[in-house]
Amino acid sequence: MSVSSVSIAKERLRNLLVSDRIQCTPDAVERLTTDLYHTVSKYMEIEQEDLDIKITRNDIHIRYMGENN
Amino acid sequence: MGEVIVITSGKGGVGKTTTTANIGIGLSELEKKVMVIDTDLGLRNLDVVMGLENRIVYNIVDVIEGNCRLKQALIKDKRFPELYLLPSAQTRDKSSVSPEQMRKLIDDIREDYDYILLDCPAGIEQGFQNAIAGADRSIIVTTPEVSAIRDADRIIGLLEMSGIRRNELIINRLRIDMVKRGDMMSVEDVTEILAVDLLGVIPDDEQVVIATNQGEPVVGEESLAGKSYLNICRRLTGEEIPMEDFMKPDGILERISSLFHRNQGV
Repeated sequence: MSVSSVSIAKERLRNLLVSDRIQCTPDAVERLTTDLYHTVSKYMEIEQEDLDIKITRNDIHIRYMGENN
Repeated sequence: MGEVIVITSGKGGVGKTTTTANIGIGLSELEKKVMVIDTDLGLRNLDVVMGLENRIVYNIVDVIEGNCRLKQALIKDKRFPELYLLPSAQTRDKSSVSPEQMRKLIDDIREDYDYILLDCPAGIEQGFQNAIAGADRSIIVTTPEVSAIRDADRIIGLLEMSGIRRNELIINRLRIDMVKRGDMMSVEDVTEILAVDLLGVIPDDEQVVIATNQGEPVVGEESLAGKSYLNICRRLTGEEIPMEDFMKPDGILERISSLFHRNQGV
């Protein structure tokens, strides 16, 4: 079955908005996310998928979703 | 003390002017005293959508430059109780007016009206800055398309940065049939992505084109889009009006077809 055009639109839009909001390329968003993970993992033991990074219009939210939380 | 609302979108062609005209007319029919101001210098349109293009003598730049008194430039729409239009200038450019001049103009008149609606030009340059300068709150118009939503997000960021905290969304030209088959973003999709309060949804309706052709309003009980505009006006005046549920099967054919699908699923 083919992917609905809405899910493609939403995915494209999410990437666009994140790079618009922090004024950088989509590629830089990915590097920022990786760098944030590396920085946090210097101080605590953490898996990359436990770190949830959300970029909204005014804030960057970093959430740790480990077992103990 | 009047409330000053800017109607904006970022992207052009999503229905700002039609929305300004119909909300202005709707509020006037709800017995509010309303002024609509066209702030798109050089591309005068609001008068045309309202069918008042033959009555213009002076415009907003004449008022700001002191070539005439405000009263001389205002056009009273005789079809409605208390509705006034301050038209834009067709032959001037965006830099003929400054945000300070706009703010002063609005401060001078806000006592005299219940609502002042500002039709904002497309873009994020000086015309946008002029239009939002005197506004207390905003209505962002978007259509359920990637480019329009992207621009709406940008505009909301700029509004928040200039200290306008109350920003509400109108989703225009929703194609219910396309949403149902997964080919158009739904109301929920758009509001989730933009994370602002929803003021209303206008379904795609050919009555809007027909009314605009004639310079007539669409707001009212006769059409789907007209009812949605009327509900938006009621919400603006503080009435609690639930959002329309366009996704429920309504026609007899749709009801039969949804029954059929439900049985198939068992």
